Amino acid sequence: MTSVKPTRRHVLQAGLAAVAFPALIRSAGAQDADLSAYKAAKIDWRQASGEQITVAVIPASYFDALIALAPQFEALTGISVRFEKIPPAQIRQKAVIDLTSKAGGYSTHAADPMYYALYAANKWVESLDPYLKDATLTDPAWFQPDDIIPAWRNANTIDGKLYGVPYDGEVTVQVYRKDLYDAKGLKAADTLEDYVANAAALNDPGNRLWGAALRGVAGAGQNVYIYSSLFKEFGGDWFPGGKFRVNGPEAEAALNWYVDVMRKYAPTAAQNWNWPDIADAFSQGTIASYIDANTSASVITNPEKSKVVGKIGFARWPKGPTGKRVSSIWNWGFPINASLPEKRKKATWLFIQWAASLQTQALTSYQFSGPAKRSGVNRLSLWKNPDFVKLMNSFGDNFVATTLDALEQDTDVNWRPRVPQWPAIGDTLATAIQQALVGQATTKAALDEAQRRLEPMMRG
Amino acid sequence: MTKATTLDVPVGGRADPARMMEGRERRFAAALLAPAFIALMATTTFPLLHLGWTSLHRMDLAMPFMDGFVGLDNYRELLGDPRFWSALGVSLVYTFSTVILQVVLGLALALLVNGMKRGQALFRIVAILPVVLSPAVVGMVWRTFMLTPEFGVVDYLSMTAGLGSHNWLGDPSLALFSVVVIHTWQWTPFAFMVLLASLAALPEDIYEAARIDRASPWLCFVRITLPLLRPAIVMVIIMRTMVALTAFAAIFTVTGGGPGTATEILNLYAYRKSFTELSIGYGSALAVALLIFTLVITGVLFALRRAK
Repeated sequence: MTSVKPTRRHVLQAGLAAVAFPALIRSAGAQDADLSAYKAAKIDWRQASGEQITVAVIPASYFDALIALAPQFEALTGISVRFEKIPPAQIRQKAVIDLTSKAGGYSTHAADPMYYALYAANKWVESLDPYLKDATLTDPAWFQPDDIIPAWRNANTIDGKLYGVPYDGEVTVQVYRKDLYDAKGLKAADTLEDYVANAAALNDPGNRLWGAALRGVAGAGQNVYIYSSLFKEFGGDWFPGGKFRVNGPEAEAALNWYVDVMRKYAPTAAQNWNWPDIADAFSQGTIASYIDANTSASVITNPEKSKVVGKIGFARWPKGPTGKRVSSIWNWGFPINASLPEKRKKATWLFIQWAASLQTQALTSYQFSGPAKRSGVNRLSLWKNPDFVKLMNSFGDNFVATTLDALEQDTDVNWRPRVPQWPAIGDTLATAIQQALVGQATTKAALDEAQRRLEPMMRG
Repeated sequence: MTKATTLDVPVGGRADPARMMEGRERRFAAALLAPAFIALMATTTFPLLHLGWTSLHRMDLAMPFMDGFVGLDNYRELLGDPRFWSALGVSLVYTFSTVILQVVLGLALALLVNGMKRGQALFRIVAILPVVLSPAVVGMVWRTFMLTPEFGVVDYLSMTAGLGSHNWLGDPSLALFSVVVIHTWQWTPFAFMVLLASLAALPEDIYEAARIDRASPWLCFVRITLPLLRPAIVMVIIMRTMVALTAFAAIFTVTGGGPGTATEILNLYAYRKSFTELSIGYGSALAVALLIFTLVITGVLFALRRAK
């Protein structure tokens, strides 16, 4: 049976996919698109033809762009792809449950980089290095794995082995109201001290303008995301002398700074805010500056919702007392489920390679036909591509330069403790930070309690 | 007669036809029952036993190399875990305050509406609305629309009334109060409906006799209405207690147990241990502890119901 011939199963599968994802029908025309850019790769794209893979992603415009393009992948490889959208709050648990069951429900999923240590410890996912080295599966000259942003690749690497290929990601930066800063003669903060001074100069709650906002809501990817950068900038070390530690003077200083900024210069409600809430408030002109993901730019520069378009500036994280800048980084990467049969693993790898390739990254970002063009592309070369840079710089002053500097110079792969116990550490730290923020405990008491809870977990 | 004899003979000659029919019927009944019984065992009893079995193990997805049978270690650890006791305390406060509020408010509303000549039907329809909403939806509505500081309805009312703006869900001392209010808001109509139906069914002649004896309205209420309503009230208390003890969705969406651990009920703690921290063994022990507490409290309530 050749795979090109449409069998009844294929028709049924296509029908099912069409029922599940009406978006696919609309973009079915994409199948006629030019596949020559992919065929330039010296591999047999059709070697796993006939396989069906399931990909779990989160509902987000940057994955919608990939889903819209998926018919091209199906035409190229003969592999059918089913996408399942799972909200970000549940995708980690769903993935873990699927991986523990060893049923191979999700061939790959959008993975949290902090979970690779856990995945690797349980041997739930494959090391991707053999796939990268296998000449029948990967054409390195075409795929150019080294072009993928190193900070993100490192985040997905455990003990020298790559476990997930980044598809989309972000780096955190300072976002500020250029008009307000200019009016007062202020400059984007170079140090955390400057940042506080700027916030103090502009803070005017009586007129519904607050000086700053940081993520306040509890969560390993929320308040801990920002706090970990502060902790590192204040000279913190998660494993001093090889022993895990979350309390101590550096931790207290970092947490005090965070609590201070949030209490004095942020709206009270920000204690429960995640980044979309911050971006919304900033769009309404009620926040003078925030430190968060560069990708939030797409919200605050949306002319339909934002009142501050054209008044926005970007700058790198302010330096901490140690003189270091440590940006919080994130990427959604794709691992391969180790419970899959061999042929489906290959099919999954082809999908990953396709999704992470320069061509797909370009087609889902500045070349995308839809309105939401993604900004979190994974390729250094794209960040230097004039067309992409032109589109991105329409976000505001200094956007591309800030992002590239932050990605290349301000990251520290171990800014959060990358160990299998991360889910417990993240949750415990999140609770401690929030306890300190709302005044349920002093910073010292909250951190000491977190240390007391985490110590037995780390001892094993 | 000859017919019956000829029928009986092949089976053994001395069998009693009535008993045989009974045995056959019993087997038939058992065969009919079996699917439901097996389904019930598979979906309730087996998972419960499995939960108990898991709680005797160390099962830590973050450290799979440590997994194994540990006997009662999880329970020993639980007894020395301050967060367990604090979660249990929050659970008890949450349960008792919501149940008392629901019964008191529900009864007051029922008495009020029972006296209404018109509009009862409308009132009942309006009252049932919160009950039919999913707790998760209720949580979202209260979190975003009602309680957000500076933007929410409740905060606006509070500011207008001169009480100032409060961080209803972010302030540890207010958060528990807020989630109690939310639960009470959603479930008081249930108590109200049950008690209203019971009130409507009370015999009128006793009240007439009381009026002839010139009993005051208060005396009527305490000596006649309350004793007659007792079975309904106890039933409402039992049902609401069981639900409140195992509440999850509303608190999960509104505060997630926060700020800090201020609204972390036992259920939520077991969830966080199992599915966020991935300590399945210890999480199971917490769930078993919650089960035991629910059983004990329900047992006490049922005993109270019987005692008189």
